[in-house]
Amino acid sequence: MREIYNPNALWLHRQIYFIVALLLLLILLFSLTTESSGQESYPNRPITIVAPFPPGGVADLTARPVAAAMEKVLKNPVVVVNKTGAAGAVGMSFVANSKADGYNLLMALSSISIIPEADKLFDRKPAYTMDQLIPIALISADPTIFVVNADRPWKNVKEFVEDAKKRPGEISYSSSGVYGTLHMAMEMLSHSAGVSLKHVPYAGAGPALTAILGGHVDTLASGPAVVIPHIKAGKLRPLAGWGAKRVAALPDVPTFKELGYDIEFYIWAGLFAPRGTPAAVMQKVRESVKQAVNTSEFKSAMEKLETPIAYLDAPDFEKFWQKDAKMLADAIKRIGKIEIPEAK
Amino acid sequence: MAETLHNLYIGFSVALSPNVLLYAFVGCVIGTLVGVLPGVGPLAGISLLLPASFGLDATSAIVLLAGIYYGAMYGGSTTSILMRIPGEAASVMTCIDGYEMTRKGRAGPALAIAAVGSYVAGTVSVVALMLLAPPLASFALRFGPPEYFALLLLGLLALAYMSGGSILKSLATATLGLLLGMIGIDPMTGFFRFSYGLVELGDGIGVVPVAVGLFGLSEILLTAGQPTAPEIRKPRLRELLPSREEWRDSFWPIGRGTVLGFLIGIIPGSAHIISSFVSYAVERRLSKHPERFGQGAIEGVAGPESANNAATSGAFVPMLALGVPSGPIPAVMIAAMMVHGISPGPLLIAQQPQLFWGFIASMYVGNVVLLILNLPLVGIFVNVLKVPYPLLYPAILMFCVLGVYAVNGSVVDVGIMTVMGALGYVLRKFDFETAPVVLGLILAPMMEMSFRQSLSMSSGSYGIFINRPIALVMLTVGLALLLLSVAPWLMKTLDWRQRFGLASGQEKEGM
Repeated sequence: MREIYNPNALWLHRQIYFIVALLLLLILLFSLTTESSGQESYPNRPITIVAPFPPGGVADLTARPVAAAMEKVLKNPVVVVNKTGAAGAVGMSFVANSKADGYNLLMALSSISIIPEADKLFDRKPAYTMDQLIPIALISADPTIFVVNADRPWKNVKEFVEDAKKRPGEISYSSSGVYGTLHMAMEMLSHSAGVSLKHVPYAGAGPALTAILGGHVDTLASGPAVVIPHIKAGKLRPLAGWGAKRVAALPDVPTFKELGYDIEFYIWAGLFAPRGTPAAVMQKVRESVKQAVNTSEFKSAMEKLETPIAYLDAPDFEKFWQKDAKMLADAIKRIGKIEIPEAK
Repeated sequence: MAETLHNLYIGFSVALSPNVLLYAFVGCVIGTLVGVLPGVGPLAGISLLLPASFGLDATSAIVLLAGIYYGAMYGGSTTSILMRIPGEAASVMTCIDGYEMTRKGRAGPALAIAAVGSYVAGTVSVVALMLLAPPLASFALRFGPPEYFALLLLGLLALAYMSGGSILKSLATATLGLLLGMIGIDPMTGFFRFSYGLVELGDGIGVVPVAVGLFGLSEILLTAGQPTAPEIRKPRLRELLPSREEWRDSFWPIGRGTVLGFLIGIIPGSAHIISSFVSYAVERRLSKHPERFGQGAIEGVAGPESANNAATSGAFVPMLALGVPSGPIPAVMIAAMMVHGISPGPLLIAQQPQLFWGFIASMYVGNVVLLILNLPLVGIFVNVLKVPYPLLYPAILMFCVLGVYAVNGSVVDVGIMTVMGALGYVLRKFDFETAPVVLGLILAPMMEMSFRQSLSMSSGSYGIFINRPIALVMLTVGLALLLLSVAPWLMKTLDWRQRFGLASGQEKEGM
C-alpha cells in the first residue's frame, strides 16, 4: 500500500506525462511543417489512387496493376485505397473535392458520367460534377457482351428481337442496379431495336450473373471476363457484343454494329485528377502512366485478367469521355425516373 | 469414393507442403486477430491483404484469404463472450449468453465450447463441401428472389424467439431496426432515402457500426454509469474447462447449428449473417428450458458459433462449384483467383484439381490449427478480465473506434456508432433487448429488394410466391412455425384443465 501512495511517485508520474506530451506536440508540429514544404518536386509523397468500388471489382482490379507499374516508373509509392459507397459516388466526390496537388487520383468506371446525370434527374444536390475532374488516361475499355441463358431458344439477335416484339415487356434482363452500366447498355439496345424488356435490378454485377445462371432472368449484358468461363461451360450463350470490334476471346460473336444496330458501349476504366492540378504535375502523371502501361508486368497482369489494354492519353481520352458521357446522358433522360407501375 | 480419396490425397500433399501450410497458418492467425478486433471484420482483413496475395501463387493466395475468413469466425466470439462487444456482425448473438456466462465466472467454458463448436462445424461442413459441392451449388442457384424473400421471412420470424422479455419490447426494437434499414438508395428506382444530403448514407447504415455501437459502446457506458464495478467472478484455473453437463448440453446445438449454418451459407446472397440469429432462435425454441436463454445458456453460444462457421464453408460452395460469388467476401476471393489467371466457373474443379483439393485440405488443416490456437489462448484471454476497468474500457473504446473507422475509412461510420451507442444505452436502461435492432437492420433492405424483384419478375402478380415450389415450402414452414407459437396461447383459453392441469403447473385454472 505504501508504494501506491508515495508522493514522490506521483510527482515522477507527472514529470513523465509532461515529457510525453511535449514529445507528441513536437512531433505534431514537425509533421505539420513538413506538409507544406512539398513543393520541390512531384512526387515526394505516396500517391493515392482511389478506387470507388469494393475490392475485387473492375475498378479495383484495374487500379492495382496500374499502381504497381507506376510505382516502378516514378520510384515513389503509389497505393490503392477503396472508398466505397453509393455506387461509386462516395469515392468520386472525395477525389473531386480534394486538393488538386496530384497526390489524389481517381480510377473511375464509365459510371462517372452517370451519377451526376442521375442526380440531376432526381433534383438532388450533385455529389460532384464532371467539371471537377480532368482526365489523365484511359486504361481499359471492355465491350459489353449480350448473353442469354442457354436454356432459352434464341440462337441469334434476330430471333431474340422478333420474339421480344411479339411479347413486349416479358423477356427479362438483370443488371447491377438502376442507372448502372449494365442497365444503360440494355437500355440502349431496347431503344435501338425498338423492343420493350423487363428489367430486374440486382445489387451488383455478381448477383446479376447469379440470377441469369439460375434461370431467374432470361438475358444479361455483362463485361466479357466474368461470363467467358460460363460460356465455355455451356451455361450461357453469347449473341452479340457492344464493341466496335469483336472480342478476341469470342471470335464468333458478332457486334451489334455489324448486325445493323448503331450502339456501342464499353465498361471502361480511366484515371482522373481533380481540376486545378498544376500542368507540370499533370504532365508528369501522364508520362508515368504512358510508360507504366507499356511495361511487361502490366501487360501480363492485364492478360491474366483477360482484359485488353485500351490506352488513350489525355486529349484522346477527353474526346472519348465526352462522347460517352453524352450518349449516357441521352439514355438517362430517355429512361427518366422509374415510374412505379400500377399494381394489377 | 475411391476417386474422392485419391483427390483428397493430392489435396493434402498440396496443403501440407511447407509453403501452403505457412500461408494457411498466417491466414488463420490474421483472421483470429481480425475477428477479435471489434468492428474490423473478415471483409476488411481480406481487402487489406488482397494486394499482398498477388505476389503469391494461386493456391497459397486462396488459402491465405480463406484462412482469414474462417479464422475471423473463431476470433469474433472472443470479444463477444468476454466483453459483450461483437467482433463482427455474425457474433452478435454470442454476446448475449456468452457475456452472461462470463459474469457467472464461466468465461473459460464459453470460449472453449465456442472454439470446439466452430471446429466441429468447420470440419463437418468442409466434408459436405468436398462431397456435395456441385449438386448443392445447382440447388442453390434455384434460389431466386421469391425463395430469398421466403427465407428472409423465416429469419424475421426468428425475431420472435430472440428474447425472453416482453414480446412487445422486442417487436418494438425490431421495428426500429427495420426502419433503420430503409435508409439508403432504393435499389429499384434510384432514389436516395433518408440520406439527408450525406453521400455516405447512400448505401444505408452499415451493420458493423450499429452492432459495435449498440452492444459495445452501450456496454461501456452502462458499466461506467454504475456506482460500483459490475459483479464478474474472476474464474479460477480449474474452471477453464467446460463441465460434463455443458458438453452434453452443447452436443445437439452444435449439430443443428452446423446443418443450419451450412444450408443458409450456400444460398447466394448475404444471408450468412442471419445464420447465427436463426440458430439462436431455433435453439431457444427447441430447448426444454427457454427461460435460461439470456441468463447464460451454453446452447446460446454453441449454436450460433457453429452456425456462423458452417455458413462460411457454405459460402464457398457456389464460389468453387460455379464461380458465382455468394457474397462480398467470396467475390473478393474470385477476384484474387482471376488476378492469378484462374477463371472461376463450373469447370474449375475439373481444370484446377490442385487448387480445389488443396483448398479443401487446407481448410481441414486450418480448422485444426485454429482449434489448437484458440484453446490454450482461452487461459490468456480470460486474464484480460483481470485488467482494471479504468484501463481496460478506454482501450476497448479506442479499438472500437479504430475498428469501425478501418472498415470504410469513413468518419460517418464512427458517428453512426456513437449515436447507436447512446441509443443502446437508453434502450438497455429501459430493459429493451438490442439484438432485434441488428437483425431488423440486416433484413429490411434484403427483404424489400427481393420482394420487389419478385414482383418485377412476375409483372406484379403475387402468385409468384406460391407457384414456385421452394418458396411455397418455406412459406408453409413459416406459417406452421407461426401457428405453433400461437397454439399454446390458443389452447390456454380453452378449457383443457383435465389434460394439462397436471403437466404444466403454472397454468391457471380455466375460464
